[in-house]
Amino acid sequence: MKHKTLTQSMAWLHTWSGLIFGWLLFAIFLTGTLAVFDKEIDGWMRPEIPATSLSQSAAAQQALGYLARQHPQAKTWNIGLPGERSDTLTVSAGEQRRGGGTALDPRTGEPLAVRETAGGGFFFRFHFTLNLPRDLGIWTVGLAAMAMLVALISGIVIHKKFFKDFFTFRPAKGQRSWLDAHNATAVLVLPFHLMITYTGLVIFYLIYMPAAVDALFDGDRDNLGRALRGAPAEQQVRGERPTRSEAAELTALEPLLAEAERAMGPVSSLSIHNPGRSNARIEARPVLGNRIELTKGQSMLFDGVSGEVLRQPAVSRPSLLTQKVMAGLHFAQFGGYSMRWLYFVCGLASCAMLATGVVLFTVKRRRRHDGEGAVGALLYHIAERLNVTVVAGLMVACVAFLWANRLLPVELAQRGGWEVRVFFLVWLLSLGHAIIRPWRSAWREQLGLAAALCISLPALSLLGESLGDYLYLELTSVALGLLLAWPCWKLYQAPKERAPRRVGKQPVAQVN
Amino acid sequence: MALIAALLLACGGMLGLCLGLERHYKQLWHRLPSPMLRRGLRGMGWVLLAASFAVSVHVWGWAMGPVAWFGLISLAGLSVAFLLPYSAR
Amino acid sequence: MKSKSPAWPTLSRIVAALIGGYLFTYAFTAALARLLPMDKVDALVVASLPSFLIYTLAILWTFACRNAWRAWAGMALALPLAAIGFWPQWREVLG
Repeated sequence: MKHKTLTQSMAWLHTWSGLIFGWLLFAIFLTGTLAVFDKEIDGWMRPEIPATSLSQSAAAQQALGYLARQHPQAKTWNIGLPGERSDTLTVSAGEQRRGGGTALDPRTGEPLAVRETAGGGFFFRFHFTLNLPRDLGIWTVGLAAMAMLVALISGIVIHKKFFKDFFTFRPAKGQRSWLDAHNATAVLVLPFHLMITYTGLVIFYLIYMPAAVDALFDGDRDNLGRALRGAPAEQQVRGERPTRSEAAELTALEPLLAEAERAMGPVSSLSIHNPGRSNARIEARPVLGNRIELTKGQSMLFDGVSGEVLRQPAVSRPSLLTQKVMAGLHFAQFGGYSMRWLYFVCGLASCAMLATGVVLFTVKRRRRHDGEGAVGALLYHIAERLNVTVVAGLMVACVAFLWANRLLPVELAQRGGWEVRVFFLVWLLSLGHAIIRPWRSAWREQLGLAAALCISLPALSLLGESLGDYLYLELTSVALGLLLAWPCWKLYQAPKERAPRRVGKQPVAQVN
Repeated sequence: MALIAALLLACGGMLGLCLGLERHYKQLWHRLPSPMLRRGLRGMGWVLLAASFAVSVHVWGWAMGPVAWFGLISLAGLSVAFLLPYSAR
Repeated sequence: MKSKSPAWPTLSRIVAALIGGYLFTYAFTAALARLLPMDKVDALVVASLPSFLIYTLAILWTFACRNAWRAWAGMALALPLAAIGFWPQWREVLG
């Protein structure tokens, strides 16, 4: 690397950090974009759960009835309430289990036989752990995020006409168009790219950068945890001694839910400790995202008999609030559906930026791929194949994952695990396909497959009984499928045109 | 509804800024804009962007409004950039 | 950097950026947390949040340097910074 000027060394850094981590980043961004609608996808993957318009308190009453019949002796009852984004009513007894519990029909209060599935949460988990062991995954994704920051800043430095080319896009000009598309998606959506990358790092900031913990707390996490929480009020109630108590009627839930909603916004779940006793306590937790601040772990406590408020939700101190707001900006749980759509479309723009970036690398070298020696030529061939696998193949794998949810037999043991296996198997197959086919055919066939699977996704609902309301999800899937069909169709036409012309992923890379 | 209003305002604003640039004005009308017109278009662009900001803040409040606005103007700019070459024939 | 192979300076720079940059950021964050005149928890959060920006800039700086030696020299600033950040711990060790 013998570069005289700043621009040259930054260009080198941009190219290589962008290429090496671009593939990883595309996978992270695509699954992250899908995870914006994780609950909705999750609902689609559990078609046995009916759409309801029941109020939360009515649903909670049904849950209480079921719990009183099935678990009258349990210390704790947990109820996951349906809300704006999900129709799922779940109950469990005993210690709260992650995402577990029995799904109930909110109309009858009877348990539903819901298929076992990895659920929409798979995209969310893949987004920040890549399905690796948790710690390894978090560090890998963190490293990729750092590479993204480096590539963004070095990209700004090497972009000579940042403002002059602000709106420039010249279609059907081969490499020029790819560069324009890459620049436009990068520059115009830059605030989003920077925000989402930085806030992503901030979520696990003390894992990635424990310097201050080591310096000020001698690396003592427990000590730090206590200091961060401030008053130990949270723990007091959970560890309360089981004092003598008489049987007592539980308070009405409706006013309690209304009060909790007034203080914290929509409620997502209730835990009832010592139900049916005079020392009953009801803990209400909010849906994440009534504010930008990530309200994870917040709750409000009520006396279960009188309905009195025992503890108001905690207020964060300014410095912690800053961190929580930044994390909240990443999780995008605030602002309702319009904000969710904004994040989704901006996320797609990020994916387009990454895809055009890695494709640009090969487009530049397609004509003279031995210009950089034998290593350069080998790298070009690898990049061409990995581009197809990572960009088109991953999209096929994501849709195949949804197809597997409906096509795998319902009684299959460890069905959720098999769905994930289908995802990775399809991805692996796409790599094999990309290796044996010429690059143009590989792109065309994999994009075509992804488009076909997306467009025909609604047909899956005809296969079995599906009780939910999936109109928006299915429309979105068809729209995305059409978007993918576009470059696929262009690839069919391309050979007839001038040789360097290649229209690809960019949905708007229209020629005529 | 407000989302659409804010988005349309943002699109208008970005279009104004875009056409305020000589190169893109020429793309659409095949002649050079007068400096007055260029300044006018740019000024209008900024005004519309400000209006879009006001709508965003009005709907989402001071905390979320700016976040939404940044997303909106980004998407508006992107659609202007990608649609302009096709409307220019 | 004595080696004739052109891969060496590049590799050296990548290591300087990734590892040297991280150590520099680590020391910088520790020193900042120690020096901020705030409550412990506040200082911790305020010092830690910008660390990713520092790391990014450190990486960019390593690559912008005229030669790899300079890059390593810059990263060596981590030592005095670490001395500030971990001053109480070091004093204990030294007796």
